[in-house]
Parts: sequence; structure tokens; C-alpha cells
Amino acid sequence: MISEALAQGDSMIHRLDPCVRVVCAFGVSFALALSEQFGVLGLYLVFALVLVALASLGAGPVLKRLKPVLLFVLMIWVILPFTHEGEPLLRLGPLTMTRPGVELCLRITIKSVSILMVFIALLATMTVATLGQALHRLRVPDKLVFLLLMTYRYIAVIQEEYQRLLRAARFRGFVPGTNLHSYRTYAYLAGMLFVRASLRAQRVHNAMLCRGFNGTFRSLDSPLSNRLNPVFMTGVSALTLVLVVTELLWK
Amino acid sequence: MHISEGVLSGPVMMAGAALAVAGTAVGLKKIDYDRIVHVAILSSAFFVASLIHVNLGPSSVHLILNGVVGLLLGWAAFPAIVVALFLQAVFFQYGGITALGVNAVIMALPAVICYYLFSPFLNKGKKTVFAASFLAGAGSVFFSCLVLGFALYLTEKSFFEVSLLVVTANLPVMIIEGIVTGFCVTFFHKVYPEILPRPRGRSNP
Amino acid sequence: MTNPIIKLENISFAYPGATEKILDSLSLEVYHGDRIGMMAPNGSGKTTLFHTIMGLCRPDSGTIEIFGSPVSTEQEFQAVRSRIGLMFQDADDQLFCPTVVDDVAFGPLNLGLSADEARDRAREVLATLGIADLENAITHRLSGGQKRLVALASVLAMEPSVLLLDEPTAGLDNGVKEKLVKILNHLDISYVVISHEFNFLTAITDRVFSMESGKILSDDEVRIHQHEHMHKLGNHPHKHV
Repeated sequence: MISEALAQGDSMIHRLDPCVRVVCAFGVSFALALSEQFGVLGLYLVFALVLVALASLGAGPVLKRLKPVLLFVLMIWVILPFTHEGEPLLRLGPLTMTRPGVELCLRITIKSVSILMVFIALLATMTVATLGQALHRLRVPDKLVFLLLMTYRYIAVIQEEYQRLLRAARFRGFVPGTNLHSYRTYAYLAGMLFVRASLRAQRVHNAMLCRGFNGTFRSLDSPLSNRLNPVFMTGVSALTLVLVVTELLWK
Repeated sequence: MHISEGVLSGPVMMAGAALAVAGTAVGLKKIDYDRIVHVAILSSAFFVASLIHVNLGPSSVHLILNGVVGLLLGWAAFPAIVVALFLQAVFFQYGGITALGVNAVIMALPAVICYYLFSPFLNKGKKTVFAASFLAGAGSVFFSCLVLGFALYLTEKSFFEVSLLVVTANLPVMIIEGIVTGFCVTFFHKVYPEILPRPRGRSNP
Repeated sequence: MTNPIIKLENISFAYPGATEKILDSLSLEVYHGDRIGMMAPNGSGKTTLFHTIMGLCRPDSGTIEIFGSPVSTEQEFQAVRSRIGLMFQDADDQLFCPTVVDDVAFGPLNLGLSADEARDRAREVLATLGIADLENAITHRLSGGQKRLVALASVLAMEPSVLLLDEPTAGLDNGVKEKLVKILNHLDISYVVISHEFNFLTAITDRVFSMESGKILSDDEVRIHQHEHMHKLGNHPHKHV
């Protein structure tokens, strides 16, 4: 279910220190989300495309990952240009497209697609294990990092338990439908997942105690030293700064 | 139920992020080291459960169950939900980084509110438990819709109709969530009551 | 005779709410160099026994001595826990870190080793078990057999004086079982193994005990042995009286 296929590559981006990638992803995403000018947004789009290219991800996998956002974008293009008030741009029979409506749609489209491409290029190219390590080195609180890694670790285990429970229910003739019986069955399945999760948590906690856990998290830090780290960091920061300044001056 | 990247205005996005950081910080503070594994693995269960699709007429909707997580974890539900949403973003690209704050508030705040409103009724009789958890399940989806609608409205006044649409479209989801949460919590009562929070005052949620 | 590593005396334990005692005045001594097997039906309290030794279940009565000194409080148990390696029945409970090397290094890090030392120790143990190539693997993607070996590595990395193995072969295919037999026979360490599998136990232990109604039956009372004859349920361990 969970595939971390994009993390397997060996591109320039994959070889960068995960910390550098996390910082860049945050910086670029927020700068991008706060921009309004079409010229600047267009440059961000190009920037995001360059990052995806640097990560040498095929168009197929990237488009697949973008599917949810593309569907969302399609939906807003069907609605917003016609419902938004403002100066009419185009009449299509009884419907009127307004200029502000179209501009809003265009802005959302560029922003959402670019932000997700930045995310895919910089973050989806590492495993959550690596990401957790990076967050730890970036001084994200230990508890939160531990929570993230532990949640990640047990998703596959619980997913498997769910499949087994569902199979057992099907073997006993369960056919889901829109009725109370089905909802109750799903409620019990979900309830069972939580119960098993809780029981497992006790066992895992015991296992941690057995291996000397005493309330402090220690971890193996393994920074990836790479000549490219400072170069990439500086390049991305400089570009983002230029775009932010341009955005501010444009107004 | 979430807001896509690139939709929200700067102030709304930043306010959401600030609220999410604050909520997460409070939640983390309430989790001591004996409970952290519990919170983490329940968060995995929440992640998996939210992939369960149930039929709704000819179509289907996925479960949300933030009400259940709220009732089970109290404030700790906040970081648990944030982590699950972040992992959803990493694996499925349902969202990215900038909308994470607002989306976390949309899902987690109602969970915590429902904990405070309804968990006092969980050690009562079977019918009360079902009613309270039905309201917690339906209520947390309703509150989520409200927060989502409010965030959209603050971003752009013309999103008002969209916000109304969100609430209306989610009415059946609220009912399903209510029913599922009701059965789910009565199930806990029957098979494993230890999972439910003890009456407040003796434990820290 | 030297002191026992583990000494349980008259241990009784019942789960809260349960009427029957799962451990009933049980006594057990494990000495240095012992290789003990334990065979018993499900629900006979074997896992509870291990958890009692580790201080995860506190007995209602009886005394526990480990390395010659009595233990009863959490602090006392914490001090000895790292020297006893308990391998859990479900490897997924034991391997909670995202990658193999993180997991194997978890114990050594808790023992106070530096990150580099812990990493070296982890690599060493993985190499000893012949799974050095798994170092950077993502834990949840491993096969059942690989998980079991990594779980063993994570316990061995703490360099314990004695191992407690809870059903180490459950769900494994014969190839991995044979590997496990080879590994255990080459380890210079005392251990107690719970298993359903007679052949596995005889291959790796010197003595086999059985548990019944919360007590350990010593060699005098029962000796599990193999001889060929046929009767109903003959594939289960059984007593001939």
C-alpha cells in the first residue's frame, strides 16, 4: 500500500543531505504559497519543474502522484470562473466566466501544482526513516519525531491486520452495502484495529523497556556530507530570495 | 476532508500553522514516555482506518474517525492526527506542507473538542455511551466542516457558497461517522474497556 | 556449584480479574551454560514466565533473584534487564525502529554507547548472523524470517548473559529454522527457549522441561522423548504414565 518508490533513485537530489532538502522544501513552499503575481508564480512553476528534473523522476510516477491535485484543479475550473463575481470575460450560453474567477483559478492551479512538485522532488525522494532523522537533526522535538517514525513503522502491520479481518468477514458472507448492518460491521472492524493497536502498543513498550529504554531517545545520526549541499542550499535560497523580493517590489 | 495547497490566503495559512504548532505542543506535553507508543500506534490505526471505504448509495466515502481518536486520546489526538496527515501527504500527496497547519486544525481541533464534550459520558450505560459517541463522531465531522468553511471564507468571501456546499455535502458523512463511532465505542466498552480514557481527574488525557 | 543466573522461587501470578493462577508456586533455576527448552500447551503461562523474569509482570508472591541478587522494584529490574535478552514471540513487537540498523543499535545506545560505537556493534552482530546486507533495509518490508533474525540481532547486540526466546520458530520455513539452529549452537551463551517443536528443541538444548497448570515439571516427573508409535494426537508432546 505504502510505496516509497521515489526514494529509491540516485539523482543529484537523492544524494543531498536530507536536512538541506527539508529546509529548502519548507522555504520554497511557503514563499510560493504567499506569492500572488503571475510573473513570479510562473517562475516558481519553472523552478519546481527544474527540481523535479534534477530528481530524475519519470513523468509517469510524478503525474500519478499529482492526480489528486489535478482532479481538484479540474473541479475548481468547472465551478469558480462562473460563480466568482466580477468583470465578465467570456459568455458561454447562459454562463459567464469572470476575469477575477479565471485569475483565481489560474493562481490556485499554479500554486498547488508547483508546491506539490517541490514536495515530490525534495521530500518524497527520501524514506520516512531518513526524513525522521533529518527532522531530528533540525531540532524538531524528540517526541514528535519518535511519534512520526513509530506511526510509520506500524502502518503496514496494521494494514495487514485489517486485510485479514476484512477477509475473515467476507468469508463469513459479509457483503458491504448502504445499511446499518454494514456500518456496524465496519465499525467493529475499525474498533478491532484500535484494540489490537493498543494491545500491540503495550507489547512494544515492554520490548523497549527490555532493551534499556529509560525515557530518552538516542539515535544514530548520519549526515550525508556532499560538496553539493552548500551549493544547492545557497542556490535555492538565493533564487527564492530573488523571487520574494520581486513579488514585494511588483506591488 | 482537507483544503488543497495553494488555495488559502497568507494570513489564514499562517494562522492555521501557528494554531497547529500550539495544539501539537500542548498535545506532546500531555504525552508522557509511557504513553507515547500507545499514541503512535493508535495514530497508525487512525491512518489505516481512514482508508476504509464504506458504501453510500451508488458511491462510497472513506471513514474519518477523528471523533474516535479524540475520545481515545484527548489532547494527544492533536499530534497523533498531525503525524497521520503528514504521512498521508508524504505517501499520497493529498496535501503538501503549507496547508498542513490548517488541515491539522480542521481534523484535530474538533477531535479535542469532542473529547471534552462527550468523554464524561463514556462510563455510563450502553445507550448513553452510544448516544455520546454518535454525537462525538457526527459532531467532529460537523466541526471539521465548519473550520474548513471558515478558513475558506476568510480567504475569499466568494468561497461562501463553496463552504455551504461542503457542509451540505458532508451531511450524510456526519451520519455515517456518527453511527460508526457509536458502534465502535460500544465495541470498546464490550471487549476492551481499558482503551477508553479513565474518568477525568485521575489520569492525564 | 556456581550461583544461578536466574532463580525463581514459589512464584505465583494471576492476571487481574482471572480466577485461575497462570503461574502457581513455580520455581526455576538457570545456571551459566544451561541450554533449556520448554514445551507446553498454549496458555500454560510460558510467556508470562518470561515476562516475570524481565519484571514486565510482577508476581503476586514469590521471590526472583537475578545474578545472585533479589529484584522486585522497577529500578532493580531496569538494572538487570539489559543483561537478559528476551526475544518476543512477534518480531513486529520488538522491531519498532524504521530501519534495521536503527533497531539493532537501539539497545547499545541505551547502554550508553556513542553513535559510532553502537553502529559498529550493530554491524558486527548483523555480520555474525549473516545478515549484514540488511543493515539499511526498512524494517516493515522484511520477510518473517528476516524479521526474526533481526530481532535476535537486536537482542544479541546488548551482549546479554542469557537469552529468553519465546517461540523463535513460529511461522518460519525450514530453511530459516535450520539457520537458527546453526546460530544458536554456535553461540556461547545460556538460554531458555519456548517452542512447540520437539525437533527444534532437541537440536539446540540439553534439557527440555514442560509446563503444566502453572508449574514446571522437572525431568524426574516428565521427560519428553521421541519413540515411534502411533496413537491419536501423537504429534503433540504427551506423557506416558
